Amino acid sequence: MTSSIYLHDGSFEGMLSAVAFAVKSGGSVHGIYDEKSYSVQLFDMVVTVPTDSLQAEKLFSYLKNLGEYAVQFTINGFLGEERAVGFHLYQMVQLCLRHGARALELYRDDSIRYLSQLSRRVNGEAHRLSGLIRFRELKEDIYYAPFESDCNVIGYLARHFSCRMGSRQWILHDVGRNISLHWDGSKVQSIEVDSAFTTYVLENGEVPDTHLGNTERYYQQLWQSFHATIANPDRENRKLQRQLMPKRYWRYLVEMRGN
Amino acid sequence: MKTSEKLTILADAAKYDASCSSSGSSRSNTAGGIGSAAMSGICHSWSADGRCISLLKILLSNDCIFDCAYCLSRRSNTLPRATFTAEEVADLTINFYLRNYIEGLFLSSAVYGSPDRTMADMVDVCRLLRKKHRFNGYIHLKVIPGSSPELVRQAGFLADRLSVNIELPSEQSLKMLAPQKTKRTIMVPMQQIGEEYSGFQRDRMKSRNVPCFCPAGQSTQMIVGASAESDLQILTLTENLYTRMQLKRVYYSAYMAVNTSPNLPALTSGPPLVREHRLYQADWLLRFYRFQAHEILSAAHPFLDDRLDPKVAWALRNFDLFPIDINRASYEELLRVPGIGVTSARRIIATRRLCAIREEDLKKIGLVVKRARHFITIGGKYLGDHTMSHQQLVGAMRSAEKPGSIKLLRETRQLRLF
Ligand code: SF4
Repeated sequence: MTSSIYLHDGSFEGMLSAVAFAVKSGGSVHGIYDEKSYSVQLFDMVVTVPTDSLQAEKLFSYLKNLGEYAVQFTINGFLGEERAVGFHLYQMVQLCLRHGARALELYRDDSIRYLSQLSRRVNGEAHRLSGLIRFRELKEDIYYAPFESDCNVIGYLARHFSCRMGSRQWILHDVGRNISLHWDGSKVQSIEVDSAFTTYVLENGEVPDTHLGNTERYYQQLWQSFHATIANPDRENRKLQRQLMPKRYWRYLVEMRGN
Repeated sequence: MKTSEKLTILADAAKYDASCSSSGSSRSNTAGGIGSAAMSGICHSWSADGRCISLLKILLSNDCIFDCAYCLSRRSNTLPRATFTAEEVADLTINFYLRNYIEGLFLSSAVYGSPDRTMADMVDVCRLLRKKHRFNGYIHLKVIPGSSPELVRQAGFLADRLSVNIELPSEQSLKMLAPQKTKRTIMVPMQQIGEEYSGFQRDRMKSRNVPCFCPAGQSTQMIVGASAESDLQILTLTENLYTRMQLKRVYYSAYMAVNTSPNLPALTSGPPLVREHRLYQADWLLRFYRFQAHEILSAAHPFLDDRLDPKVAWALRNFDLFPIDINRASYEELLRVPGIGVTSARRIIATRRLCAIREEDLKKIGLVVKRARHFITIGGKYLGDHTMSHQQLVGAMRSAEKPGSIKLLRETRQLRLF
């Protein structure tokens, strides 16, 4: 039997539907992709799987029963936005059907290793950004933070800051994906940021002056001077600095401006 | 003096402190307040020396009445002096925190007036933050040697972490280089913190209403290379601090020559960064690999080999214990193999539950095979090179070490989440 390629609509539910469908089909699977990232080749056996909430839900509750690893691999696999992840999730389910939850620690298996590494990468980036996010105080008493990230981690960040900033309002803005979340002091909601504003932020790594609160520049300068002063010239090690804080994150970092 | 000038002076004076960790405490926000503390700690930036910036690390004052030979802020130096007000520190902390520049405050100070006067002011800063501003972020407070027990106690109820710096690894060196400090003035508050920490923790098991005392525990720091102690002395002291005083962390700070003194290394000498790095590696073995100080060093070998990872050095000295078999060795045995870390040892155990490990799996599991192979067998097959003499093996392990700048300061990174 030839092996098939399954396509889904790119949503979390869609991805789970396609994985569930592939498992049920019992045949051999060549790949499971977001239809937007796939162009059909000659001789490919392609099946477009419609999103089926019920199937997705069923699969997800099976994964939940397997424990935390399975859930993490799946959610983080999705947020990692890697093209090949669907296939590895399919392999993971097959392994678990055969060996149970123990299979999730089978590091000699390529798919388990792939998912475990991807999951670590997503967690790692979320953790790293929870430190690298820089809020700017805007005129309206809202704290606004633009950022760009490899993985889609804005959800993790929103959870982190909603426990932290209390009644203060904030907006997290994933400028690359153009997703924004707003915290009004009690709940998180998705909002849209003005496109001219977004373009300015993307180009300058900073909010237009007219929007900044009165003391914002003052604290930015204090932070810049603290940051420069706290380094030990005798131990200077820019290479290490870059390794731990890669340049791709510098754009929105107040302290790295001009570096 | 403007706040910005004070900040420059008092951050500059604080930069010699090695610790900037914000881990070990989990605090949630309270109604009307701001902030929380994450168990694993969060780095917010990295400075040009590659060290993590997690906390607003400043001195309350650099106007010192003490005269420690190794310190820039000592009384006998002429330099600009500054002292923050409590409000200034609180304002900086809150505003940096709201912008997510920092996880919290690390407040230390030179001694002005008297140890108690200084300590009382530091406690006031914390009180202002916690009570008036309802700040729930991380606070690391340095305890001034010789502070009264009452102040230490108050500090413990407000801060997440306390530390008393040991400064120098022996009483003799202390006498010579820090004449106004004594072993007693350092050890007494340290002991008190240790006892109260354990006491309140025990009581909290019984009732949640018991207050937290210094929930992230205590740490300390010693300067390496300013005085003559051996690594064995330093590591033995460290071990005692971990096992007898329940310290969470011991930090080492390579001595940076800032003053001239007949009792100190020359001004031109660079900080002993390699030695500092090796000590951190050995410290790591004490904390996570179940080693004891006397296994790592002995009276015959009182210094760490600057060209070898201490774990590799141990394995080479105890080569008769190897090779061990990957499919049979216990977790403890696996941990002692160079090239196997906590994560890969755990994975070996997890994988073995399902199936035997094959040679080609080793790399996938995360072993550093290049290093580990000399110490292991798999299915009876030795993975090292039988024809190699011990001398050649030592040479090979040395050249496998890249002492590049990246590895050197690795310790400043915080523990990764698993
Ligand atoms: S007590 Fe000693 S180490 Fe501390 S600031 Fe004063 S002179 Fe420096």
